[in-house]
Formats: sequence, structure tokens, C-alpha cells
Amino acid sequence: MVGLINAEKPENLDDYKNVMVFLEARDGKIKKPGLEMISVGASMAHKVNEILIGITFGEKVGTMVKEAGEYGCDRVIGYESPDLKDFRTIPYATLLSDLIQELKPNILLIPATRNGRDLASRIAVRSRTGVTADCTELDVDPNGRILQARRPTYGESTLAEILCRSHRPQMATARPGIFPVPERNKDAKYESEVRKAKIKKEYLKKEVVDFRPKTTVDLTSAKYIVSGGLGLGKASGFKLIQEVADEIGAYVGASRPTVDMGWIGKDHQVGQTGQSVRPKLYIACGISGKAQHLMGMKLSENIVSINTDPEAEINSISDYIINADLYEVLPKLTDAIRKKKAE
Amino acid sequence: MIKMALEIIVMIKQVPDSSEVVIDPVTFTLNRGAARNVINPADENAVEQALLIKDKNPGTHITVITMGPPFAETALLDCMARGVDRAILVTDRAFAGADTYPTGLTLAATITKIGKFDLIYAGEESTDSSTGHVGPGVAEFLGIEQASYTSNSWVEDGSVFAERQLEDGVETVKMEPPCLITVLTNANIPREATLRMKIDALKKGIETWTLADINLKPEWVGLKGSPTIVKSMRTINEKKREGKKFGVDEMDKFVDELVSKEILKFGGE
Ligand SMILES: Cc1cc2nc3c(=O)[nH]c(=O)nc-3n(C[C@H](O)[C@H](O)[C@H](O)COP(=O)(O)OP(=O)(O)OC[C@H]3O[C@@H](n4cnc5c(N)ncnc54)[C@H](O)[C@@H]3O)c2cc1C
Ligand SMILES: Cc1cc2nc3c(=O)[nH]c(=O)nc-3n(C[C@H](O)[C@H](O)[C@H](O)COP(=O)(O)OP(=O)(O)OC[C@H]3O[C@@H](n4cnc5c(N)ncnc54)[C@H](O)[C@@H]3O)c2cc1C
Repeated sequence: MVGLINAEKPENLDDYKNVMVFLEARDGKIKKPGLEMISVGASMAHKVNEILIGITFGEKVGTMVKEAGEYGCDRVIGYESPDLKDFRTIPYATLLSDLIQELKPNILLIPATRNGRDLASRIAVRSRTGVTADCTELDVDPNGRILQARRPTYGESTLAEILCRSHRPQMATARPGIFPVPERNKDAKYESEVRKAKIKKEYLKKEVVDFRPKTTVDLTSAKYIVSGGLGLGKASGFKLIQEVADEIGAYVGASRPTVDMGWIGKDHQVGQTGQSVRPKLYIACGISGKAQHLMGMKLSENIVSINTDPEAEINSISDYIINADLYEVLPKLTDAIRKKKAE
Repeated sequence: MIKMALEIIVMIKQVPDSSEVVIDPVTFTLNRGAARNVINPADENAVEQALLIKDKNPGTHITVITMGPPFAETALLDCMARGVDRAILVTDRAFAGADTYPTGLTLAATITKIGKFDLIYAGEESTDSSTGHVGPGVAEFLGIEQASYTSNSWVEDGSVFAERQLEDGVETVKMEPPCLITVLTNANIPREATLRMKIDALKKGIETWTLADINLKPEWVGLKGSPTIVKSMRTINEKKREGKKFGVDEMDKFVDELVSKEILKFGGE
């Protein structure tokens, strides 16, 4: 067994300095969850007079390195190779853990996307350190430069603060959509370096044989969402939802039973076993507001409930309540929006 | 197409039933007290995925393992009743308080002790602490390939294929065994156990291993072997919601309100 050694503590914690962020990319562009970590990473680094080091991998990394610097990394290292075109766990984990050995970061942040979590789990074991998963709050304690990583647990009801005091780097994955994307500054000063990666053949056994980009929306980054529930009564009810959504440029969400009934695709499902969303506006139409649904949308900035039941659970977390039949409400709402837009 | 008799290991965790865990819709506090313990939902899908492979590759042998308290036996018996061949409960006081690092280590040591395997299945994440780190952690300890967040996987001419659902698309990967695969919740519909098989499972029983059986030192596992600690927990304060009411004939007024409060903006950012 390769890693069957206990987590040995590093001899000297003071050898570990600076904040490192792994900037996940696709097709030569850094993805949004990566950019989101630059703001929180830089503020932690600067708080303790350290620098933020951005790391990015790809077939060609020139534009990504520039992007990383202009968004706020103090130093950027890009590794390029045709073998790094697709995310593959072992080559990525090997390069990143070699960089950890070389640069000894005090803190390492990775986006809590699916590939990010896939990678972070292995890096933590390989580096014999701890990782706090899916954080929504990150800070550094200036005394001891300890990462205070906080993550929602137990159905998003509690925030647990998790520390990794005696192992380095202190690792966390950051939940997408929580931290703001910093402003891009074309005149930013940063140090950059592009390295050619040489990857051993034995690390390249896993092949990506196919990738089909999703044509459907990623609800997690939606600004407005109009969601339908069983109150629609039938599949065609989603047409009304779509009309409102089109009018305001919103994405369509759904409760699980509507997905189970085949009224709409699984990609639209919001909730515990669907997507967790936090748009500026969430309009719930004919959704009762069971805990598993609320779990995925209660962090929305503004919530509207359209429901015939004045006692519907969702009303207790709604900013606006329209207590009526959605088949009456939605066409009127669409009209009102059209009128307002025409003003 | 060459059929293969495979050696498969499925890792399962017992968790409190989330449909019974009562979450107060206002305070969002969780009452675990009343909840029954069940197999972590994604792990049921992992077991089903292993059984689907066994259906297509006769002679395949499936072992299910869990690190947990003695009562986790129920979850293992449930898996056996669905068609799993062997079940091992790894239980020891020393395992208590493990974070994902020693959890992965303990499971990897258990698998090493089992010996030969072609495929390891795990769930995408647990419903209780939901890090999703245990599966890939085990793969790292064992030094094998992995495919996480899969909705389907199959074996063809000795290679393993898996479909990964990513935020921006669906990726198909090809790997050589041995490798580890984590399975998404709802990837398939888990089969039900028949009464006959339940009786057989009880007759067959499960094996119980302790720390001494898997060659790890006590300081490597449980709380002692954990790099992280949970320092504190606090309830998340919910935003106060006013619940302002609008009638069905007040949609113009309602839209005015959304626009004037800048909740809704038309025409770009
Ligand atoms: C392990 C587990 C995971 C789950 N995960 C999820 C998840 O991810 N997402 C999810 O959504 N659910 C999930 N569920 C299911 C969840 O418990 C609820 O069953 C589900 O959210 C209810 O969906 P609903 O609100 O659409 O339907 P219902 O609860 O049936 O509510 C329908 C609502 O529509 C209203 N209504 C009826 N007619 C009209 C009308 N004409 N106009 C206006 N209102 C009307 C009713 O008053 C009612 O409030 C999960 C359950 C379990 C056990
Ligand atoms: C509030 C709270 C927050 C926590 N946060 C963190 C954290 O951020 N980082 C951290 O390192 N630890 C954390 N932990 C500890 C974590 O709960 C344990 O490490 C646990 O043993 C496994 O983690 P998980 O439930 O997240 O498993 P996951 O990684 O989500 O589980 C994925 C899959 O791994 C397999 N698996 C998991 N556990 C077992 C098992 N015991 N036996 C067999 N198979 C298993 C199953 O197939 C499962 O579907 C936290 C604990 C609490 C109480």
C-alpha cells in the first residue's frame, strides 16, 4: 500500500508560507470557481504579509497565467503539456503535490467542484495533511497563521469550524458561488512563470475518451430562478414557468417529484439531492417547501412563494407571498413584467 | 466481448435516515434522535452498480465493507440480502472520531488485508458529513486510478469505463483495473432484497475485524490519526424574511416593488 504511513507532522511549521490556489480550467480558460478563490486567497495572504500563488495546468497556459495575475495573484505558475489538456487525477495530483513540496504553502485552496474535490482528496492524503471540505467561510488567524475553515453541515443548519493545526499545508475546498470574483486589473503587477510538464507514461493510464459539454444550465450560477413543483399538476405547467423565466432572463428550477415524474430534466432539480442555488431572486411556484427542497435554495437573497396553501412551509422563509392559484398568477405576472419592461 | 469474473469491493457507511431526520423549517435545527440508521443513499447506488456488473460478468464476487460501530451490521446484512457475497465490519474503539484521513487509511488497510480486487466502489458522498473525500482518499492510499461522481460504469474487454457527471458536461473515462469508482446518488434504482435472500444473508452472517486484524497502529487511526479537528459549531442565522403579501390582481404593484428594490433588473447587468 503506497500511502500506508501515518500523517507525520512537518518538522517546522514556520517553513510553510503563503497561500496557494489551484485554478481549475477548461479549454485554456480559468473557470469561475477558481477566480472566486483569488479574492479570498489574496485577502488571507495579505493579512499576514504573505503572497498569493496561483497554479494552473493546461495544454497551453499563457492566457490563463495572465488572467490569474490580472485577477489578483501575486505569483503565477502555469504547467503546460498536451497531457494536461483534460483533468486527470493522477498527473494533476502528482504535479500539484510536487509543487507543494517545492513551495511549501501554508494554505492551499482548491475549488469544491467535482474535479476539485476529486483532486483535493488525493493531495491531502499524499501530503499527509487534513482538508476541510466545501467551505463557505475562510479566514486566517494572524497568530500562528491558522486557517479557520468553516463549512455548513447537517443539512446546512450549522456551520462547523475545522482546523488543521499541526499539518501543512492547511487545505480547504471552497464552495462555488460563495466568494466574489475579483475585479480584473490589466495593470496588475505579478510574477509569472510557465513550465513545461513532463509526465510519466505510467501516470497517464486513465484516458478521457469522450466529453459532451452540457447544453443545459448550471443553476448554481443563476441570478434569477423560477421553480415549479407538484402544484403545477402536469408536465405542461412548466410552459408557464418558462414564460416568466424567459421574460426576466431566469433559469428554470424544479422540485424533485416533478423530476421523478419526468416533467422536466434532473439538471433542473433544486435541493438536497439536486443543486444548491443562491440566486438574487427565487420564485417558487406550487412548491410546498419540504426540508430537502429548502436545503438547496434557502440561501437565495429573495424568495417569492406562489402557493394556494397559506400554510405552505415555504411561506415561512419567503420575502413575498402570493397566496393564489399559480395558473392565475403566472400569466398575470408575465404580463406585468412585459408592461414594466416596455415603460 | 470477453467476460470477466471480477473481484469487487464496495465501501458503505451507515448514516441517520435523512427522510426521518426532522429538520425544523424555521430554525433549521436537526433532530437526529428519532432517526433510524440506514445505508448512505449513494452507497445503495454503489452496491447496485456492483450488482449490475456481476449480472453481466458471471463469477464476479462482491465484498462489502464498512468501518463503523457494531450496529452497522444491519446495513451489511441488507447488502448481502441484495446479492453481495461477503460482508466485513471493521470495528474498534480506536476508530472513533476519525476524519477523512484515518477513515481512508483504515478502509485501505482493510482492502489490503482482503487481498485481490479489480474494482472498488464507494458513494459520491455521505448524507451526514458529506465531504466526498473518503473514496478518492482510499484510491490514493492504494495507489490506484479513480473516477468520481459517476452515473454509470461498465467493464469491456478487460477495461473499465465510467461516465462522470461534471458541472459543465459528461465525461467518459477508460481505466485499467484495479481502480476505484464513486457513484452518484440516483445513478440507478437499487434492487430490493427478497425474503429468501434475507434469510440466507442472516444464515451466512458477516465477519467482524478489529484494529489488530488490519495491521495499523492505534495512533494512526481514529481521533489520534486525524489531522483536522472540529473546533466549534454554530447555528447558521437565517435572514429575516418579511413574507409581504400580494394578491393575484396586484402583479403590477408586485413587479414595481421588485424593480424599485433592485431585486429585478431588466436589460443586462
Ligand atoms: C432523501 C431525500 C432527498 C430529497 N431530495 C429532494 C430534492 O433535492 N429536492 C426536492 O425538491 N425534494 C427532495 N425530496 C423530496 C421532498 O421531501 C418533497 O417531497 C418535495 O420537495 C415536495 O415537492 P413539491 O413541493 O413540488 O410537492 P408537494 O409537497 O406536493 O407540494 C405541492 C405544493 O403545491 C401547492 N399547490 C397545489 N396546487 C397549486 C396551484 N394550482 N397553485 C399554487 N400552488 C399549488 C400545494 O399547496 C403544495 O404546497 C427529497 C426527499 C428525500 C427523502
Ligand atoms: C460536522 C462535521 C464536519 C466534518 N468535516 C470534515 C472535513 O471537512 N474534513 C474531514 O476530513 N473530515 C470531516 N469530518 C469527519 C468525517 O465525518 C469523517 O471522516 C467520516 O468518517 C467520513 O467522512 P464523510 O462522511 O464525509 O464521507 P464521504 O467522503 O462523504 O463518503 C464517501 C463514501 O466513502 C465511503 N465511506 C465513508 N465513510 C465510510 C466508512 N466509515 N466505512 C465504509 N465506507 C465509508 C462510502 O462509500 C461513502 O459513500 C467532519 C465531521 C463532522 C461531524
